[in-house]
Amino acid sequence: MSLFIERMVNGLADGSIYALLALALVVVFRSTGQLNFAQGEIGTFGAFVVSTLTLSGLPVWLSILLAMGVGFVVSAGVERVVVRPIEHRNPGAVIVALIGVFLAVNQLVSMIWGIDARPLPSIFPDEADSFVTVFGAPVRIARLGTIGVLIVVLVLLWLLFTKTKLGLAMRAVANNQDSSNLVGIRVGTVLLFGWGLAGAIGVLAAALLAPSAGLSGTLMLGPFLLASVAAVLGGLDSPIGAVVGGLLIGVTEAFIVGYVDFLGADMLFPVMLVILLAVLLLRPSGLFGSERVERV
Amino acid sequence: MSSGSLLHVSGLSAGYGPIEVLHQIDFTVGEGEIVVILGANGAGKTTTMRALSGMIGRQGTVEYAGNDISGAKPDAILRAGISQVPQGRGTFTDLTVDDNLRAGGYTVKGSIDDDLERWYAQFPRLSERRDQKAGSLSGGEQQMLAVARAMMPKPKLLLCDEPSLGLAPLITQELFKVLGSLRDEHGMSLLIVEQNAGMSLAIADRAYVLETGNVVATGTGAELLADDTIKEAYLGVVN
Repeated sequence: MSLFIERMVNGLADGSIYALLALALVVVFRSTGQLNFAQGEIGTFGAFVVSTLTLSGLPVWLSILLAMGVGFVVSAGVERVVVRPIEHRNPGAVIVALIGVFLAVNQLVSMIWGIDARPLPSIFPDEADSFVTVFGAPVRIARLGTIGVLIVVLVLLWLLFTKTKLGLAMRAVANNQDSSNLVGIRVGTVLLFGWGLAGAIGVLAAALLAPSAGLSGTLMLGPFLLASVAAVLGGLDSPIGAVVGGLLIGVTEAFIVGYVDFLGADMLFPVMLVILLAVLLLRPSGLFGSERVERV
Repeated sequence: MSSGSLLHVSGLSAGYGPIEVLHQIDFTVGEGEIVVILGANGAGKTTTMRALSGMIGRQGTVEYAGNDISGAKPDAILRAGISQVPQGRGTFTDLTVDDNLRAGGYTVKGSIDDDLERWYAQFPRLSERRDQKAGSLSGGEQQMLAVARAMMPKPKLLLCDEPSLGLAPLITQELFKVLGSLRDEHGMSLLIVEQNAGMSLAIADRAYVLETGNVVATGTGAELLADDTIKEAYLGVVN
């Protein structure tokens, strides 16, 4: 039982990372209709910025906040410089351009910081004895902290979307850009903010993951794939779906690795894809995605 | 007329890419006046509306309340006092009725709660459905919502793009009553583009007839209603 709880919490903690990343993907997809392939790499870039800032003596939490700001600017820049000019002429080409950004950021990271993995300090107590006991199971404080961060981000996003004018504008733009223009919303600015927000969330996810996974240029490759699966599983236009999908995948991962010996970690991605296919066959728009019915 | 006019449009041309749809049309809307632009499909009605609200590129002069707004962007035009009810209503279908109206008041500084209640009082059906998604409303309710949303920024001139489209005759009648009351009770000026000649001309002070991007006739609503060619083309009456 104690092992079960430990695996459950670890799964939820990893799932929180996927959920954050999936949330970032959904924020962009809802407003722009694009899957941001560069999302994970912008996160990796931000995690290296955290590393540089902490090495220069800044506290970890402040480094993460500053790096999230960098992620905001980089991601908003991608929207303005790459996505928007191409989208007008050829929406289909945007996805190729974003794969290009993915490669470019990936290269940039290894040019600036090299290819050797480096440690990144955690914002949570992360000593050998930093455990608490949950229902008799030892659980690392950093794991619980990661889940806590997801909850805080969810509350903040909920407040943004439902209680602020900017959030209303973001929902309006996601629903109908033409009408948003007509009610005086500056659609371009709102899109820019949405991409920036997604970039900042991506950096946060990477900075939470790096202390346990090790900071390297390939930090976000696996998590990005799993987060994409989570986003599609939950429904690409549904923030709730992204969170449920992310947690579901984290827990599934922990249980497969922990309990299903013959599959183990190597078979993780194939198993995830089978689950994804099964869900999409039954519910093409994902678990929580809206089925768009266009009235003609 | 032009000295007292709120909106003065001259030589307005607009289109999409290389295709010009509107060819140098002139018209005016006076203070407290309902002006109808009558036209069949493809005459350039929606193009006129989108050009006026700054949604598409345009040439010519658009003067509003004495200011040249020919090159202004949509949000600047809205802030100047021109609001639009788009064709096909354009409600935010995934948002609640309440959020639709709040989005309508996006450019208003300060609290909009009083304005919200005023429009809920005017449209009790919307008030009953304020927490429902706009997409779940009937066509008529959505059109009322689109009108209320466009009124939230407190405009002086309301542009209505074919408001009767897809509505049952009884609902259309109710809608034109509402539009008439905006002039009579709120002192609004309205520019309505329509192909429903009967109901729109009945409330119009003046009207223009638009054919393939050119103004081909003009007169008071009553004059045009009595005109044989108009009757034949837009009311299906053959003499």
